[in-house]
Amino acid sequence: MSKAKNRKRADDSTAALSRAMRLRTIGFVCVAFICVVFLVTQLFRIQVLEHDEWQEKAVSQQLSDVEVPAGRGQIYDANMSVLAQTREVFTIVMDPSNIRRESTRNMIADEVSVMLEVDRQKLYEQTCDSESQYKVVKSKVDKAVCDEFVQWVDEKGLEMVFYALTDYKREYPLKNLLSCVLGFVGTDNVAREGLELKYDDVLSGVAGRMVITQNEFGDRLPTALQYEYTVEAQDGDSLVLTVDQYIQQVAEKYLQEALTEYKATNRGCAIVMDVKTGAILAMAVKGDYDPNNYLEIGDPTVAEQIAQLSGDEQAAALVKARQEQYRNKALEFYEPGSVFKTVTASIGMEEGLVKESDGFYCGGSYTIADRTMRCWVHPKGHGQQNFVQAIANSCNPAFMTLSQRIGTKLFSKYYTGFGFTQRTGVDLLGEPAVSASLYHPADKIIPVEVAASSIGQTFKVTPLQMVTALSAIANGGDLMQPYIVQKVIDSDGNTISNTEPVVRRQVISADTSARVSAMLENAVSGGAIKNAYISGYRVAGKTGTSQKTETKSEEEEDENVEIIASFGGFAPADDPRVAVLVMVDNPVTLRSGGGVAAPVARKILKDILPYLGVEPNYTEAEISSLDRSTPNVVGKSVTAAASVLKGVTLNYQVVGKGDTVVSQMPIAGATIPKNGTVWLYTDSSETKTATVPDFAGRTVAQVKQAANTAGINVLFSGISASSGTPTASRQSMVAGTKVSKGTVVTVEFTYADNIH
Amino acid sequence: MASAAAPQGALTKKRKGRLFYFALGFDMPFFILLMLVLAVGLVSLFSASFAYAYYWNDGDSYYYIKRQLIFAAIGIVAMLLISTVDYNFLRKLKIPYIVMGISIALLILVLFLPPIKEVHRWIKIGSLRIQPSEIAKFAVVLLFSYWIAEFGNDMKTMKKGFFPFMAALGVVCLLVFREPHLSGTMLILMIGMVMMFIGGTKWYYLLGTLGLGGAAAAALIFIGGYERDRIDVWLDPFAVYTSGGAGRDSAWQTVQSLYAIGSGGLMGEGLGNSRQKHLFLPEPQNDFIFAVVCEEMGFIGAVLIIILFALLVWRGFVIGMKAPDRFGSMLAIGLTAQIGIQVLFNLAVVTNTIPNTGISLPFFSYGGSSLVMLLAQMGVVLAISRRMKDKNDS
Repeated sequence: MSKAKNRKRADDSTAALSRAMRLRTIGFVCVAFICVVFLVTQLFRIQVLEHDEWQEKAVSQQLSDVEVPAGRGQIYDANMSVLAQTREVFTIVMDPSNIRRESTRNMIADEVSVMLEVDRQKLYEQTCDSESQYKVVKSKVDKAVCDEFVQWVDEKGLEMVFYALTDYKREYPLKNLLSCVLGFVGTDNVAREGLELKYDDVLSGVAGRMVITQNEFGDRLPTALQYEYTVEAQDGDSLVLTVDQYIQQVAEKYLQEALTEYKATNRGCAIVMDVKTGAILAMAVKGDYDPNNYLEIGDPTVAEQIAQLSGDEQAAALVKARQEQYRNKALEFYEPGSVFKTVTASIGMEEGLVKESDGFYCGGSYTIADRTMRCWVHPKGHGQQNFVQAIANSCNPAFMTLSQRIGTKLFSKYYTGFGFTQRTGVDLLGEPAVSASLYHPADKIIPVEVAASSIGQTFKVTPLQMVTALSAIANGGDLMQPYIVQKVIDSDGNTISNTEPVVRRQVISADTSARVSAMLENAVSGGAIKNAYISGYRVAGKTGTSQKTETKSEEEEDENVEIIASFGGFAPADDPRVAVLVMVDNPVTLRSGGGVAAPVARKILKDILPYLGVEPNYTEAEISSLDRSTPNVVGKSVTAAASVLKGVTLNYQVVGKGDTVVSQMPIAGATIPKNGTVWLYTDSSETKTATVPDFAGRTVAQVKQAANTAGINVLFSGISASSGTPTASRQSMVAGTKVSKGTVVTVEFTYADNIH
Repeated sequence: MASAAAPQGALTKKRKGRLFYFALGFDMPFFILLMLVLAVGLVSLFSASFAYAYYWNDGDSYYYIKRQLIFAAIGIVAMLLISTVDYNFLRKLKIPYIVMGISIALLILVLFLPPIKEVHRWIKIGSLRIQPSEIAKFAVVLLFSYWIAEFGNDMKTMKKGFFPFMAALGVVCLLVFREPHLSGTMLILMIGMVMMFIGGTKWYYLLGTLGLGGAAAAALIFIGGYERDRIDVWLDPFAVYTSGGAGRDSAWQTVQSLYAIGSGGLMGEGLGNSRQKHLFLPEPQNDFIFAVVCEEMGFIGAVLIIILFALLVWRGFVIGMKAPDRFGSMLAIGLTAQIGIQVLFNLAVVTNTIPNTGISLPFFSYGGSSLVMLLAQMGVVLAISRRMKDKNDS
C-alpha cells in the first residue's frame, strides 16, 4: 500500500485514478444524478399530477361498458288489453376467428341459414372473415328459435363460434290500431313517435350496466384477470290509457270506410271523448301505419305511387310519406267550418243575445261593411226562420247576424274561453302551439272577421280543441283538459299515478249547455243532419263543410278547392256521455260534412252507446219501423238472396256449401226485426239448432246480445218512447227450448216505473 | 493496508469468520444490488409478458419468463466464473484489439446477413440471437480502458487522447448506425465519450465534437428531414396517432406507454394488475417494460427501482474508484456507466422525454443473449472488485 501511495505521489498518471479523473468521475455522476432527478420529476408529473387524466383515457379503452337494457313498460287500453309490449329476443353473433376448417364453414352456412332463415351466401362470406370476432348473424330472434339454435350449437360443439345476446323487441299486437297515437320504438330500441316517445322516461326504466375488462381487441380478458361489476336494470312502468280498444276499433273501422269510399286525399281522424272527464276514449287517425313495420307505407295507394318512382325521387317520397303517416291528424290544425256554429250559438245564448224563438231572415247572403258572404244554399235562401231552425239549416246569414250582436270583444273572450287560443294540455306527443296567425287576436279582430269566424271560417283549430269545446257545451259548460293516460303502473301492477280529470274553467252555464244541446239534437233529428240520426238514441251535433284556406276560391264548386268534411256532436243529448268529432280531409267524391262525416259519427255512436251501457229510447214510430216481414228467398242463388235481404236491412247467415238457398229460417212472411238475421240453408241435410235463452230481467241491449249469441231473432214489444230503462218480463218461447237458428222470439218489456 | 499488501492473508483470515463472503470473495454490496435488480427485473418481466405471452403463444403465459430465467441462470453462472478470473488477463495479448476487431467484423458481417424484423441487428445461430452491437459496446469499453491506462498523461494530447478514440468510435458507430440501430449508436457514443472524459481527454475537444455532431444531427433532422417521424411523434404522439401518419406505430407505443405510466398513480395498480399489458402496449416485455412497472408499482415502486439502479451504478463506480489500477478502474466505471446511461435513456424514452429510439432496460427487458452479455460484464466488475483497495471500509 505504501508502494502504491508513493507511486501516486510520484506520477499521477500511473495511479489507479488521478485526482482529475476522480473529479471528472464525480462530475459525470453529478450530471447523471441531475438526469435522474429530472426523469423522476417527469414520472411524478405523469403518474401523480396527471394521473386522473391519463387513467380516464386508459380506462376508456380498457373497459367495455355494456348497457344492460331495462325491460320497457307495456301500454294497455282502459280494459288492460295490451296495445304495446316488449318481448325478449336474441341477437345471434358469430366469432368467425374461431372457425378452423372449411368443412365447418360449409356446414354452418348450410344448417344455420335454414335454421335462422338467413341468406346462405352472405352467411358463408361472414364465416370466411377469420379476422373478425363479431358478426351479427341475425337480430331480433325469437326465444324459441334461439333455444333451438343454442341446442344445435351445443350438439355441434360450436360454443366458441356462436353466442346469443339478449335484446328486446317492441310489439304492437293490434297492428295499426291507435298507431298514430302510440307511436313506435325503433329496432334500435329508441322511442321515435307518439306516446312511446312522450312517455319514454316512464316506459324505458333505468338501464343497468355491465363493466368488463377487455384487451385491445375488445375481447374479454382471461378468467383469472377478469374484473367486472353489474348494476341491475330497473324495468320501466306501464301506461294504462283511457282509450278503449273496442271504441277505437269501431272508430277506425268506420273512419276508414269513409276515407276509402269518398277517396279522401289527406287522411282523416275521429275522436271520441268522455264529455264529463275529457278522457279520450278513441282517437282514430287513418292513413296510418303498422308500428311493427313502421318503415312500410300503410296506405296502399301511396305505397304504389312511391313504388313507381325511382332513385332519389323515390327515397325522398318515401321519407315524406313516412313522416306523413306518423303524424297525429287529431293534433293538426284545420278549418272547423259550421261545426263551430255550436260555439257561436253557445256564446249568443250565454250572453242572452239570442233565444230559441228569435227570428232570422236569410236571403242567400249576408253583407257586412263592403263584404258579401254567401249562405251555403246560395243563390237560394232559407227565408224566415227561428234560431232553432237556423241551426238545423246551418244558416250562415243567421249566424253572421248573431255575430254582430256578439261583437269583437265578447267573441274574442269566448274564443279564448273555449280554449282555441292555447294548447289543450293533452298528454299526447306533438300538440302544436297555437300561433296568433291562426286566428284573429282580440286586439286586431274587426266585425267582418267576427262574422266569418262565427261560421267557422278564416281560422284554424285542432280537432282535439274542437271536440274539447264540444264536450264543454255538452257537459254543462266545463272546459276539460283532455287526457289519454289514465294510470301509470309499475311492473308489479301497483299504481304509480292516476290521472284525475281537470276542469280548466267553466265557459258557459249549465242552462245554456242544456238549451244548446236541445237545439243541436233537433238539428240531427229534424234538421239537415239526419245522417247522424240513430233510432233509439238522442244525438246532438253539427256538420261542417269548410274550404281549406290554402286552396280557397270564390267559386264554391271549384274542383281545386280542397274541403274538410266534419261532424261534431255528442250523445245522448239529454245526458251527454260522449262527444265525437269526425274530420275527413278532402273527400273527393262527396264534398259534404253531412254526407261524409255524419254517417261515420252515427255508426260509431250506434255501436258504442250500447257498449257504454246507454239504453236506447225508441219512439213509437221508430219501433214500428223496426219490424218487417221476411221476404221469400228460397230457390234464389245465395248472392241474389243476400242482395234481397240487404235491401230490407236484414242480415243473413249462410249454412252449407251449395249455391242455391234450399230453405230459410224464419220462413217467408214471418215478422222479424230490422237487422234481424235470416239463416239460409244451401244443403237440405243440415239444420242448425239454437237454445232459447232466459231473457227475464234483462235490458234491451242485453237481450239483443243474448239473442245474437244464441242465433235467434227477437221482436221487442212494450217499449215506449218515454225515458227510463225497460226490462224483459215475458218471452214467447220458454227458455231452454231447442229451435232452429233464426227463429223469432217475441220479448215483452216493461218499465220499472209502470210496475209500481 | 495489510489486505492490499497481502491479499492471500486477508482472504485466509475471513475464511474462518464468514464462509460465504470468502467463497465469493468479491464486493458483496454490488453483488446483492445486482441480484436485487435482476430479481425485480425478472418479476417485472414475468408480469409484463404474462398477458402478451398468453395471447401470442397459445395461452402459455410463462413463455418469456421461462426463457429469461434460463438465460439469467446461464448469465449468473458465467458471471460467477468470470468473476474468479483476474481481469488483467483482458489487457494481455492485445485482447482489447482482438475483441474490437472481432466486433467490427461481426458488425460488418451482420449487414450482409438477411434482416430480422427488417433490420440487420442480429446474427442468428440456431435459436440464439446475438447482437454484434452488444459486443461492440463491450469492445469499446475494453479498448478505451486499455488505452486510457496505457496513455496516462498523454490523454491530454489530441494525438493520443482524442484521435484514436474518435476513430474507433467512428467506425463502430457508423456500422451500428447502418444496421440501423440509432439507440445503440447513441449509447456507444455516449459511453465512449464519457470514458474519454473521465480518462482525461480535454473537455473542449469533447464539447466541440458534441457541438459539431449535434449541429450535424440537427441539420439532418430539420433540413434533411431525417428521422422527422420520430421527432413528430415525440412532440405530439396523440396527433400522429390520430392522423395515422408514418410514425403511427411508434406513436401508439408512446401513447400507450403514457397511459400505463399515468394510470399507475402514486401506489400503482398492484403487481400483476396492469391493464395496459393486455395488448394495448405493444411488446410490453421489451423496451417499454418500465411503463408496465410504473402502472403496477406506481410512482413509489418506480422510484424505488430507479434508486436500486442508482445504487448499483454508484457501487460500480466505487469499485472503479477503488480498483488497484487504472485499467481496472476504467473498466469498472465504463461497464457500470453503460448500465446507468442505458437506464436513463430508457426512462427518457418511456416518459416521452426524448424521441422513441427503441432502447431496452437492462436486467428487465426480455432478451437472452443480451442478459447473458450484461451479466458476464458484471462478472468483470466483480472480478475487479476482488482486487479493491480497503475493501473493509466499504
